[in-house]
Amino acid sequence: MSALLLGETPALPLDEAGKYVAGAYVVFMVLLVVYVAIMAIKLQRIERELRDLASFAEQRNNNDEDTSEGASNSGDSHPSEVAAVSFQGGANPPAADAERSTRAEFDV
Amino acid sequence: MYGKGLKPLSIATVVALAAGLSLVFFYAPNDADQGFIQKIFYLHVPLAMVSLVGFIVGGIFAILHLRSEDSRWDAYSYVSIHISVIFGVAVLITGSIWAKASWGHWWVWDEPTLVSYLIVFLLYATYYPFRYAIEDRQRQARYASVFAITAGAFVPLNFLAVRLAESLVHPRVFATTGGGLPGSMMLTFLVSLTAMALLWVTLVKLELTAKSASGQVKRLRRALDAPPAGPRSRVAPEVS
Repeated sequence: MSALLLGETPALPLDEAGKYVAGAYVVFMVLLVVYVAIMAIKLQRIERELRDLASFAEQRNNNDEDTSEGASNSGDSHPSEVAAVSFQGGANPPAADAERSTRAEFDV
Repeated sequence: MYGKGLKPLSIATVVALAAGLSLVFFYAPNDADQGFIQKIFYLHVPLAMVSLVGFIVGGIFAILHLRSEDSRWDAYSYVSIHISVIFGVAVLITGSIWAKASWGHWWVWDEPTLVSYLIVFLLYATYYPFRYAIEDRQRQARYASVFAITAGAFVPLNFLAVRLAESLVHPRVFATTGGGLPGSMMLTFLVSLTAMALLWVTLVKLELTAKSASGQVKRLRRALDAPPAGPRSRVAPEVS
């Protein structure tokens, strides 16, 4: 098939005409690549936001668990403490949590 | 669920594009009149046809949006127009290159095909500031739909007007009397047209998938009662 195609190949002129034809096809490819790059940046942003949300949800769950444990032990914790969870608080999750979140990210 | 079927569609697009390019450079003969320059035809014309059809499709989605008040149709309309405008940029640039190579000028103002396409392109270029100028999302979607329908109706009228204009400068390869493309060129053109149509559909689906994912993240953020990540886009509609 490829031999047949090559047999039919007209001589590729590298003069003036070839320059313009190459220019047109390169412009098309560049536009396509730029578009795909923009989509990749958007995808990265979505991924980052999802990661933030996942860690936020995990932090909130951990705090919920801590509060319920504290309430059962001492019985004096206030519900507002549960709501006072700061988003992206800066505290690193424990190693086990980090491993769990990595597993969740890549669905392994 | 907009991403469903995106992988096979992408593969089909890549295969069709590769087949189209192979046919253009290894199968289709050089044009007797224009020579090698005519190879731009297989890129420029399919892009133009697909972009014009895309504008009309955007108008049809806008009609569905106004009929059903379903914001998904507005997103379809927006994305169709968005991708068609990108194709339009490619049409204008490749057309200019072809014009320079064939006629010696980057642009010819007395050629109806060029000027009419530029008018259509500029009309759709105003879609973005028009949409962006309206704060309220529902009003924005309604007004954008009205715009898309009106402009979409203008596209075939514009095409007819150009066809009726008597000009011999722009090549008429699909003439009803005489001329026309020989079989090998027609096959190459049809494969290129299919490849461009597939590319348009793939990009529309990709854009819708990205918007859907972004919308789902915002929905999740609201459900978790988490603070917003950044400034909200006022242009692009959300897809849930």
